[in-house]
Formats: sequence, structure tokens, C-alpha cells
Amino acid sequence: MRRRDILALAGGGLVALVGAGAAVGALVPVIPRRPLPDLADAVGWIAHRDGRFTLTLPRAEMGQNIATALKQVAVAELGVPWEAVEVELHDTALPRVRATVGSESVMQFAEPLAQACAALRDALAAGRQQGLVEVNPRPFRELRAFQPGGASGTSPEIVHGREIVTGEPLYSADVRLPGMLFGRVLRAPAPVETASRPRRWDIDAALRIPGFVAVVEACGPAIGRARGLGILAERPGVLAAIAEALAVEWDIDKTSRVRDISQVIDIDARLAKGALPHTVLDGTPEPGAWDVDIRLDIPLAAHAPIEPRAAVASWDAGALKVWAGTQDAFYVRDVLADAFKLSTEQVTVQSCRIGGAFGGKTICTVEAEAAALSKAGAVPVKVQWTRAQEFALGFHRPPSSHRVQARVVDGKVTDWGHGQVSSHILFTAAVAPAWMQRGTDLLLGDGGVARGMKAPYELGRAQARYDAERLSVHTGPWRGLGAGPNGLAIESAIDEAALAAGIDPLAFRLAHVSDVRLAGVLRRVAEIAEWGRPPAPSAGLPLRNRTGRGLACGVYKETSYAAVVADVAVTPEGQVKVTKLWCAHDCGLVINPDQVRAQCEGNLVWSIGMVLSDNLPVEAGRVVAETFADAPIPRMSDTPPIVVDLVVGKTTLSGAGETAIVAGPGAIANAIRAATGQRPVRFPIDPAGFALAP
Amino acid sequence: MFLILNGAPQSIPEDWADETLLSLLREAYGLSGAKFGCGVGICGACTVIVDGVATRSCVVRAGDAQGLTVRTIEGLGSAEALHPVQQAWLAAAVPQCGYCQAGQIMLAVALLEQTPRPSATDVETALDGNLCRCGTYERIRAAIQQAVELS
Repeated sequence: MRRRDILALAGGGLVALVGAGAAVGALVPVIPRRPLPDLADAVGWIAHRDGRFTLTLPRAEMGQNIATALKQVAVAELGVPWEAVEVELHDTALPRVRATVGSESVMQFAEPLAQACAALRDALAAGRQQGLVEVNPRPFRELRAFQPGGASGTSPEIVHGREIVTGEPLYSADVRLPGMLFGRVLRAPAPVETASRPRRWDIDAALRIPGFVAVVEACGPAIGRARGLGILAERPGVLAAIAEALAVEWDIDKTSRVRDISQVIDIDARLAKGALPHTVLDGTPEPGAWDVDIRLDIPLAAHAPIEPRAAVASWDAGALKVWAGTQDAFYVRDVLADAFKLSTEQVTVQSCRIGGAFGGKTICTVEAEAAALSKAGAVPVKVQWTRAQEFALGFHRPPSSHRVQARVVDGKVTDWGHGQVSSHILFTAAVAPAWMQRGTDLLLGDGGVARGMKAPYELGRAQARYDAERLSVHTGPWRGLGAGPNGLAIESAIDEAALAAGIDPLAFRLAHVSDVRLAGVLRRVAEIAEWGRPPAPSAGLPLRNRTGRGLACGVYKETSYAAVVADVAVTPEGQVKVTKLWCAHDCGLVINPDQVRAQCEGNLVWSIGMVLSDNLPVEAGRVVAETFADAPIPRMSDTPPIVVDLVVGKTTLSGAGETAIVAGPGAIANAIRAATGQRPVRFPIDPAGFALAP
Repeated sequence: MFLILNGAPQSIPEDWADETLLSLLREAYGLSGAKFGCGVGICGACTVIVDGVATRSCVVRAGDAQGLTVRTIEGLGSAEALHPVQQAWLAAAVPQCGYCQAGQIMLAVALLEQTPRPSATDVETALDGNLCRCGTYERIRAAIQQAVELS
């Protein structure tokens, strides 16, 4: 419990600091509150009525299949059959639980849930049937869920699996209410950081469209500084026709300065202006020439869940109910209460299964649009963003530019330097206005940019520093936060250092690793991939293809570990195909091995995307991608056979949702280096740079 | 106007004729299995089977389904009597978020009806157009092979 207390203090301190420094009450945005779970709350997660148990899931379900893992914990601790426990997704009547972020659900919620279930089990055994059960925590080792034969190590049919394969309604866009209309909020084709508002529109043209209902000026808060114009229709397909007919003219602030992202996110240009302000590793490298000195540039990238965010809103006697696919129903509730001048008791947000989130569905956007349009129309309203809105109005993985340097003496790194310039992640511009970011920049930096920047090696005099720049496009948490890009940069440089030293990359890493769990996954992946053997010739591919094998590893949030080996084939034209991936993964005690594997698989497919395709195009300061053709994601044909091996611990619980992404991209990049002799430094890689000379 | 929906005639309301087939299914009929993902036929989350052919329902005008046979995931099997593809999908625990999976399943069903024993290349050619951001592709491949064995 000690670790939790420390974290809780840090979280509380942050909110107080920002609030107190602001002194402009009305302008202070609603800040997400993220209390750690305590046992008093956990009582509300599990209930017994008429012989059946209800597990009210204290997490959002977005494909990590946490409903299954936590049900396993409850069933094992209660000592009841699988069928005896019904899982319900929470609404905001539940005591506040923190956002479902950071791969924390098993790490932070499994034990309190087990404690609550143990107390409920004992109370039932003592003959109690009514009232609230007080939870007196017992030692971890006494919890049945985590003992051998308890919850861990099994993979039952996933919760919601049957509904998914039969098409039952689960997602927010599946909600239908009597009399429901369909809404959309139009916004200017301008950067979200540039003030814009509708000036005039052709209402007569809209009135001629069958199914048109209304134009709504009071359509909810701005997104960034983009104010919208709402429309309501009887059928969803009418919305696009109305938007076109209205031909809205926009007032767009011409004085707003839009800086070119490639000029702002340029580590060398930034270093030329002076030292980076935030320190992750505080060593002082000795001056002199570097053996490794590489610059890596990683662009803006979308979360691109297949489900564009959606919400259904309905008002009843001044109270608001919203169905949402959100990672933080409580934050959405708080923003809605603030926006519509309601008490939090007057707003209920029902969590629905989320069709992919990856960190992107943590803010309140479409929910406020639906609520405003429903209020204006006095009927229930459904709003689902278009794919173009997802790209234009969401926040994204920030672009980052890295310079990584290493000096190698007698096979060991003696000096290390890593400088990075990126944009904000934890203090996302999607929530924090510029003045607030100036405060957080001054006092705190941005832990999201810093995440994973502390290389997991003994590197002598090691320095790592960064800066975060506010951009015209909103950036924020994206699977792994900074750890994905930082891992790619670090693992690329370590590989170059091994080459400079003339030492095998596995042996070189092991010589610099002091953490036994990291060494463990490295040795395990070397074993399953038969490291040291040349990569398998790529079956069916042309003989002129070059093949290569790469290795990388990493630690996520100091709690979970992964090592990855990648094989690639590179065509004469420089096209890269990943032909096989192996991953060894250690997140401690595993509740559901199959779903931990599934998370590793997902992370590895994301790793392929990070190296080969992720890129969100921006022109004149705004995202111009409108479809998946403009911002492609990995396909089946990009995905090779994947082998995942789990190193399983006995007691420690940690996370799996974002771990392998710290190692996968580096392994693929290193395999490309091995195949071609060229170090990939600009991502996604341009095949032309890896083509054979004609 | 009518179509044959999962084996039974169903009228297409006059004012829904200019909607997409996807909207008609989801919002007029309340069949929530097929999903909106991109609206331009790229991602495949809206895939249904029209006259035996896997079809992107987000780019088909509802009125153009007049007289056609439309099969959605709701018509495949019931929770108690699942279609072999649905069974295989559960056995392989394919879904992560699950949002694209109805489209993937309908595409797999159409493939197996045309090609009961597809090669790995057949599977990849047929399924490559359906996107899954969670990255379940390896399990989709495995589930299709399992479905072949179950059928």
C-alpha cells in the first residue's frame, strides 16, 4: 500500500498546485481527477442479490478484456461458478474511479476487488444478506484469487465475446432511444488552436432537404478554440447533405500564428537555442567525440480506433444521461456538469464497451456535442464523429525529434546523451490551455514525454533531457505515451553502440543491464527466436531480398518488461516486410495469459505501424487526413506470425497494455539496419532510402 | 420497396431509400452488428453479405438493396447455436475491442462459402481490406482455419 499512498499524494498535490496558481476561476478547465482505488470504493464493485453476484466493472472495457480478468479474480475469490457472476459496465453512480489509462487495471484494481470479494464471501458465510460489508484488508498471500489454483493462469471465454460475434448492441453508437435524432457539429477547416466560429450559413438550402430538423448554435463547448455549428436530422445520412447545403462561412482568426511543426520539432534547431529544460537522467557526459551520434524523427500519429467516438444524450426533467465509449466516464460527467451548469448528481454517464481507445478517448468532446444538441432539440440525440472528425478534432501522438549519443570504451558505454523535443502528452492541449501549460512546463515538465526516456541500462555518465512545445495540432496520450518513441530512439542507439563495440547486440545489452527481470526477458526471447542463427530466408519472396534480424528490449513504467526479436525482408526497391516476431514478456503474476498474449500481439502490430506507416499529415497547421487512405494502419498482410512467451511471476501484478511497444519498433528498426546496413532514422521509413542501387 | 433480410422480407421505408444500407440496418431495423468505421468503404467494419457477396454497406444506397438478399451477423447463428465461424472466433478469442469483428466474421463467412478450404494466400487476399486497429490479424487467420475444421 505504500506505493499507492505516495502516488495519491503526488496526484493530489498536482491538482492543488495548478488550481491555486491560476486565480482566474472561470477560465480554469475541468481537470481529470485520478484517485487511486481504495477499499471503501471497492465495496461498491461487487454485490450479492438473490443468489447472484454483480460485478460492476470499475474500469472501462476497450479491448484489453479487463472484464474477463477481473471477473476471474471475483469468481476465484468468491469461490463461485463462472455463471454466478454477472458483469455490468459502470455508470457515474459508482464512486469515482480513475480513468482507464496507463495499463493499471490489474495492477491497481485486482487486489482491492479481491479484498472486497473476500469480505463479501465471509459475510455471506456468516449468514448476512443485507447491507454494506466493511472490508478489512488481509495479507495478499491470503487472498484466494492470487493463490495457485485461484484466478491466475486460466483463459475462460471472454466476457462480451458472445455478444460481439452475434452483433448484440454493446457500443455507445448501438444505443437507440425512442424519438432519437442524429446530430453533428460542424467546425471550421482550421487548426483547432486557431479561434474560429460560424459566421453565416444558408438555412434556406438546408430547409429544402428532407429529414432536416434544425441548426443549433448552442452546440456545446469549443474544441480547442474551434466553435461549432450544430445540425439535427431525422436520419444519419442526411447530415452530410445538410452540411453541404448550409455552406457555412467561418470567421477564422487571421492573427493566429501557426508554426511549422517540422521547424518546431527539430532537436538540432532546439539545441542550438540552448539547453533543454527538463531532466530525466542527470549525468554529465565528458566532452569529446561520440562513437554513436544519431538523430531520429518520429511524426504525429493518430490512435485510429475503428470506432469513431460516439455518444447518445437524453434529457429528462433537467437531468442529463449520456451513453459514451469513454476511458473516463467521471471526467466526462464533470465536464458536462460544468458546461451545462448542472450538479454532478444531475448528470449520469453510462460507460459502454469502447471500440478501441488507445489513450485517445480520455477527454469530453462528442459527449458534450450530443448533450447540447439533445438539449436544443428536446429529444434524445446520437452523435458519431466522422472519420475525418476523428483525425481533425482528436488529439494525437506528438511528433518527436531525438538526438542520441554514446561513447563506447572497451565494450562498455561510458557516456550517453539523449535530447528530445516533442509536444505535450499528460498536460495535453486538449485539456490544458496555453497559460496552464506554461505553468506545468515551468514546474513539472511533462511526464508523458519523459516516459521511457530513462534508458534501462548502466550507461556511465548518462544525460537525458527534453522540452515540450505547444503545437497547432492537439497532442496527448497514445499507447505507451513517450515510451514507444523513446524506446525506438534508445534501442536504435544501443544497437549502434553494440556495432561500434563490435559486440553481439544481445551480449552487449546483457552487459549493460542490471535488472534481472529485463535480463530474463532478453535471455528468453533469444532462446525462443534462436538468436545467433541467421534469419530464415523469406519463403516465396524474391531472392534479391535482403533479410535481417533485430533485437530490442525495454521496461514500461518500471513495472513490466519486454524483449522482442524481429525478422525482416527488404525488397530491392526498399519495401520492408516484417516476416516474424518473437516477444518475451514479464508482467509478473498473470491472471489471464491468453489476454496478456493478445495485448503483446496488439503492441507488436502497433510496432510495425510505428516503423512502417504511422503518420498523420498536417498542412497549414491542421490535420488534413480524412480517411484511412490518408493515414494508413497495418493490415493483415503487414502482420507476420507472432510468437509470445510469458515469463510469469508469483506475486507482483503489473500491466501489459503498453509494454511490448517499448521494444517492438526498435527490434524492427534494428532488423532493417541488419538487412540493409542503413540505420532508419526518419519514421515511417521511406522505402526509397533503403532501395538497392540500380 | 423491400429486401430479404436474414431470410425474411423486410420493407425499406420510403424516406430511408437514400440512406446507406448500413444506416438502414442499424438505425431503421436496429441491427447493430455492422459498424460505422470510415463511411467510404475502406475499413470494412460495415461488411454484410449481399446476394452472396461480402459488401461494404456504408457505400451501398439502401434503395439499391431493393429485392436483394442481405445477410448480417445477427442472421448467422444464435447465442445458443453459433455458426462455425462464430464458434471459431470465440475459441481463438479473436476480439479485443470487438468493433471490427462483425465485419471480419461476415467476410470470413463469405470467403468460406466461396472457398471452403482456403489457402493462406486466399485468406490474406480476402481479408486484407478489413482493418483491425487492435491487431488481431493473426487470430483471425487462426480462427478461419479452425472454422474450416469445424465445418
